[in-house]
Amino acid sequence: MTIFQFALKRSLRNITNILLLTLFPIACIFLPEGEVWPFIPYGYQYFGILILFIGIRLASIILEDREKGVVKRLAVTPVSHFQYLSQNLLAYAIILILQSSIVVYGGVLFGQELYQPVWLLLLYVSFSFASLAIALAWISIYRRKEISFLIYMSFIFLVVVLGGIMIPIEIFPNLLKRIAVIFPTYWLAEGLDWVVFGENILDFLLINGVLWLYTIIFLIIGSTRKIY
Amino acid sequence: MKVFKEPMLYVNIWRFLNIAVLIHLWIILETTINSFILILLLLIMTSLRWRFPLPIWSVLVDAIMCLLFFPSTVIGYYGLALPIFELSLKKKGLFSLLFFAGVFFPSSPSNLLFWYYLQAFFFGTFSSITLENQEIYKLEADEQRRDRYELERIKNNLLEANQSVYQQAEIMERYRISRELHDHLGHDLTGASLALQAYEWIEDPKEAQKLIQEVRNRLERSTKSLRDTVHNMTPITLIGAEILENIVQNYQLVDIDFHKTGNMLLVSAHKWGLLEVCLKETLTNVSRHSNATKVKVDLQVTESIVRLSIQDNGIVKETSHTGSGLRGLRIRARSMGGSLSISQKDGFLVVCVIPIDKERLNT
Repeated sequence: MTIFQFALKRSLRNITNILLLTLFPIACIFLPEGEVWPFIPYGYQYFGILILFIGIRLASIILEDREKGVVKRLAVTPVSHFQYLSQNLLAYAIILILQSSIVVYGGVLFGQELYQPVWLLLLYVSFSFASLAIALAWISIYRRKEISFLIYMSFIFLVVVLGGIMIPIEIFPNLLKRIAVIFPTYWLAEGLDWVVFGENILDFLLINGVLWLYTIIFLIIGSTRKIY
Repeated sequence: MKVFKEPMLYVNIWRFLNIAVLIHLWIILETTINSFILILLLLIMTSLRWRFPLPIWSVLVDAIMCLLFFPSTVIGYYGLALPIFELSLKKKGLFSLLFFAGVFFPSSPSNLLFWYYLQAFFFGTFSSITLENQEIYKLEADEQRRDRYELERIKNNLLEANQSVYQQAEIMERYRISRELHDHLGHDLTGASLALQAYEWIEDPKEAQKLIQEVRNRLERSTKSLRDTVHNMTPITLIGAEILENIVQNYQLVDIDFHKTGNMLLVSAHKWGLLEVCLKETLTNVSRHSNATKVKVDLQVTESIVRLSIQDNGIVKETSHTGSGLRGLRIRARSMGGSLSISQKDGFLVVCVIPIDKERLNT
């Protein structure tokens, strides 16, 4: 598990990552509640956006490895590509789970109205995995860290707006409502609504199931072995 | 961009386009959210196929997924195009005809479905043929390349053998000459010189007379044997520049003027071989393809190179390719470290230059 430990250390090494991983999530806890919409405090509604950013930040460590030729050197060691990838992703997943726990638990302590904190945590974890997988698939297209990150920023903006996290999905025109379903963020927004109003646990499982399906799809696509 | 010429790329694009079609259908057909799950499941199968070579039975998984969603959504019917495509891609197109049964279900959406299946079947078959052809071409190209390398290797080996045979022959010949001189001339000349030395010390005139006679006999004998040896060694066949001259004299079609300068003995036998073939080939070309009336042949031997240039005054149509004869000569010239160049500016000009290696001559 050397790669795993190393991935953990590297993720926490630079200042930007530390800020993203600690300060921002903690700031999320203290954001106020909305008047009418969103139904849960702003910080929790927008936490999904943060998860997307953190996903790409963490995944681009793999891209950095490719840029510097680390992956090429690993190719001649007895470490399989699967080991390299799985241990890296495990490290990132653990970081994201911890972060989600801190946010949810901190919210409970602070006294925010979170309705069903346990399900909320589960939803965040599912979405974190999906976000990580999407970021992994995204970086498998690029060769340069900066370019991939810049384009991903605009991509995040699009997905967040069309997916119904920033704007309630109900005010969309019909066609856009249908198209929104394609984006994983739509399912996060649905999940948040369920946490507030939901009763039938099957609906919630469906929402998480879809997020998991997205995770699997993008993991398969992102697992292509690229040495350069 | 070699990647755009790979048939496999288009197969994968088609797979993902199909998913895009299903999503489009899902958006316009106002079906339930649940049926979106089917699209995601099919997308998983598709990306798995893109990533790994799945066994053929994996299409059953897609088919079962689609079947399960038959009652709830028409997307299931359209999804069957994927297994149809995969089956025909793997040359199992007949099995895919079973899925065409989806058209006859009472709840099946429209007549368009049949055509949708048919294009999947058609493109799958087409892709499978393309991929198969690509494999065949690759194998053929590899085989051709292997054969060509083999031929080149054999050719180089032959040329090397040619040179070494020449060297061996030269050494054997020298050995024969030295033995010949040593066996016959050597004894007599040594005897004669010893007899002359003895002559200075002898007092008795009779004895001296006898010795002188002895010396004379020995010298006569050695002169005769020298003459014989030299005579035996002189080849009757033509060598060196004479070969070229002989060819030029026997060539009757056009006027040839032949010049030679330099010391012809510097050029070794196998180089003459090449020069001879070169001259013959060029003159043959002149008589076959050219309307020339005059040919100028110029042979120059300097300390370090031998240069043979053959120039005619014919009007040539510019041809870009060299014939196999000249190409073979070029390879032979290169194997000796020389070169053969051809120019078609005014008339046809062939210049063959071969370096002379001086070390060889002294071995």
